[in-house]
Amino acid sequence: MSEQDKIRILVADDDRDIRDLVTFKLSQAGYDVQAVDDGVAALAAIEANPPRLAILDVMMPGLSGIDVLRKLRAEESTKDLDVILLTARSRDSDVDTGFATGASDYIIKPFSPRELLHRVNVLLARAKE
Amino acid sequence: MSAQQILLVTNIGILSCCLALVLLIVLTKLRRTARQARAAAKIGPYRHALLAVATGEDDDGQGRRELYAIPSRVWKHMNSAVVSMLSHVRGAPAEVLAGTLRGHGELDRAAAMARSRSAVKRSRGAYLLGLVRDTASVPVLLPLLSDNSDEVRLVATRALGAIGEPATAEAVIEALRIRRGRIGVPAWIAEEALLGMGVGIGPVLLKALKDDEHGIRNVAATVVGLGTYPSAAPELRQLLAYDLSSEVRRSAAVALGQVGGDGDVGAIGAHTGPGHPTPLRRICVEALGELGSPQALPKLRALLADDDRRLAEMAGESMVRIGGVGVAELRIAATGDDEGARIARAALDFARLRGLLPSDGEA
Repeated sequence: MSEQDKIRILVADDDRDIRDLVTFKLSQAGYDVQAVDDGVAALAAIEANPPRLAILDVMMPGLSGIDVLRKLRAEESTKDLDVILLTARSRDSDVDTGFATGASDYIIKPFSPRELLHRVNVLLARAKE
Repeated sequence: MSAQQILLVTNIGILSCCLALVLLIVLTKLRRTARQARAAAKIGPYRHALLAVATGEDDDGQGRRELYAIPSRVWKHMNSAVVSMLSHVRGAPAEVLAGTLRGHGELDRAAAMARSRSAVKRSRGAYLLGLVRDTASVPVLLPLLSDNSDEVRLVATRALGAIGEPATAEAVIEALRIRRGRIGVPAWIAEEALLGMGVGIGPVLLKALKDDEHGIRNVAATVVGLGTYPSAAPELRQLLAYDLSSEVRRSAAVALGQVGGDGDVGAIGAHTGPGHPTPLRRICVEALGELGSPQALPKLRALLADDDRRLAEMAGESMVRIGGVGVAELRIAATGDDEGARIARAALDFARLRGLLPSDGEA
């Protein structure tokens, strides 16, 4: 895959380890990954150069992942953007809130990087269809 | 010396102390920053190997070998990075990271810390042992369940839950017991730990459902429901009907909704009448929805006209949860002009808003 053809994915997490993990895994799979460390930066990055998929942490300083997702769904240009919530919040009510807000998928930390990659691939393949 | 001179000397003394303190703080911060920079420089060359291992991208084992071969003078800076990474991932990468910690003697050190006189060290040791999820650590962790420190007991309970060895369930339940007026471990921590132990703890939970302490019965009922142990349904019916603790009765109702079947509609429905406490009535209405049995529909439809408006709304929500037959029954109930019909219409609107039903135009 050439540099121009690479599918862009945005990762937003305030934990450097998580940003590095996701970036490393997805880059190895050939994706072009941009990582930011809070919700405000995530919104700005999406607005400046919309990715094909965003992976958001829920608990971030400033804007939470849920807040970001809500804003994305309210905007015509980003309402269909695929969003995966990657979070330590594992209660059923948290998962319900995530999907009710419009998340395309919900992954609980600690997570399997391999599973994350599979889910990214599936979402992007569905979007292609 | 005059009073003015004494005041001047005192002021100079205070100012000097303040300046010395500021200098000390600045120096300490500079030293810490320099130390962190030195540590970052030492572990920097191993970051790629760590990420490769943690993401499962280390097919040729090169990253693992690099991590194993880290010299001890660097490892003391690197171990926290490996522990931090291990807390984020699961599956095969987590096993390799745990093996790295073991290879560098961290588990032995953690076991020694778990026996330390310092509560902070005992807690840290227990955390590490739980993170690595090695059943060999169980004998080290079990005594910590009765530790004097609340924090240590909590971390040890979580660690045992992470390890998931069913044989430790009884000890975790014992740790819940109130001793000398103090709670052993918080209920939700014990619940999480027990849920991590899988279906093998069924017999221990059945015993706990009959415990003298209501807190233990309550936790057992919650775990039976969340962990879906249908064999405990007869005990749950007993608790719902006869337990002296209202909290246990409510937990039993929730759990019965989760593990019960058509035959439990009567047992749960019996507590939805006006003669029962409002919290129990409401929870039983929710439990009927969770149960998902169409046999609960006549009871729920009747409750749409209940004097407790919130309970009536919950009856409508439960009818939606029962599925197609529940929604059909709710639509019939919505055609009237009484309060029950208004509640039914509101429940249908709410379900549409939540995306559970197609909107009117789509229907």
